[in-house]
Amino acid sequence: MASFEPDRVESRGRRGLILPLVFLVLSALLLLVPPATQGRVSSVLRGSVLAPFIQIQESLHQARLLSESLGDLRFQLDSTLSVLHSQSTIEEENRRLRALLDLRDRSSAGFLAASAIRSGTRGSESMFLLDVGRLDGVEVSDPVVVADGLIGMVREVGLRSALAMDWTHPDFRVSGMTLDGEVFGIVEPRQGAFREEDRLILNGVSFHTPVEDGVPVVTSGRGAVYPRGILVGTIAGLAEIEAGWRRSYWLDPSVRPGSATHVLVLTEERPTDSEPFEDLWLPGERLLGPSR
Amino acid sequence: MKHFLFFWGVALLLPIFHFTLHVGLGIGAGAPDLLTVGLLVTARQVRTGTAAGMGFALGLMEDALSILSFGANSVALTVVGILGARSRDVFVGESLMFLASYLALGIWLRGAIHWLLTRDGAREEAVRVFVVQLPMAAAYAAAVGTVLLMVTGIWKSGPSR
Repeated sequence: MASFEPDRVESRGRRGLILPLVFLVLSALLLLVPPATQGRVSSVLRGSVLAPFIQIQESLHQARLLSESLGDLRFQLDSTLSVLHSQSTIEEENRRLRALLDLRDRSSAGFLAASAIRSGTRGSESMFLLDVGRLDGVEVSDPVVVADGLIGMVREVGLRSALAMDWTHPDFRVSGMTLDGEVFGIVEPRQGAFREEDRLILNGVSFHTPVEDGVPVVTSGRGAVYPRGILVGTIAGLAEIEAGWRRSYWLDPSVRPGSATHVLVLTEERPTDSEPFEDLWLPGERLLGPSR
Repeated sequence: MKHFLFFWGVALLLPIFHFTLHVGLGIGAGAPDLLTVGLLVTARQVRTGTAAGMGFALGLMEDALSILSFGANSVALTVVGILGARSRDVFVGESLMFLASYLALGIWLRGAIHWLLTRDGAREEAVRVFVVQLPMAAAYAAAVGTVLLMVTGIWKSGPSR
């Protein structure tokens, strides 16, 4: 009687290939799922399996903060107080001038202090975790800054944590201008030979407006993400000239992402559909256009 | 039975050490890739499907911390798991040299697949990655992994031996 063993072995072998193929297809599908789904999966994993490891880094960060020398903290407090003191009259002046011009109060951004945690795993080079989330008022696209300037923006928000990207991420873009408001352009990252050499570039500057080296570039406030006036970097030479109509300049970033461990999230309230635009104008003012 | 438990204990501890060093302590590239070491060692002792599943799960955990290339770690570790399990049919060896080469090759392959699947604009220069970064990372992790596995006796014991 013929043995059926080889057939059985062959069929087991074939069956043995199905499961690996299933996992391979599943993993390939992860590359294709929409970013929102990717974010949800990431968020669940960060809040469950990876939570203890993230918690360890948060605890270490807190311990490091506590061990910072009292002298340094005193110095920072004194500097802040002196700046506040010197600007106290400016605030009053500003209020009076706005009243003279019948201008409404400017909506002010809220600052939320957070710890920046870097995971250090492969593929996580341009991101960092924040220990504040939706319950603290953080929203997607909130800018993240440090004392020296802009560092990035929030990409995903969980209940008590958020994932942010820094300016080295290929998707990072911000509308920038020189401090005097003369030159505008789009600031974007350029990868260096090593990650430490990553730089920013001010792109799309009109050809006939040259910019000197060392000029500070700040956010222009155009677009709905970054408020005006946050330092992005300083001009560090001409990068490209294109056919006599466009220039690009290298920027020395004001902040090196790796050095930031304590950041501020700007949680400004943005107008929503439920907030009519008419409220933006003073009574009596009307939009230009044909009267009905 | 004792060996079996010991093997799986160490195989489980390696990913835990990996995430503790990389995420918990924030050491980053200064810490070896113990995740791949753990997967490569386990893959030699389990079925291909199980190795693929482990690779998928571990890769997904790494992907949860990445916004540059979500899914790249999952694919890379699933492939490494499958090849690690299938390598039993091709290579048989228990020598120190074999272990070190097997680990180094696996870690290099994992990095190479990850690089290939990383989106344009986020990739570093190919030559530097393939010739400098990956071989160095592979040699480092393979050396640490070999010492760890020899000291614990895992490599010689295996779960069923």
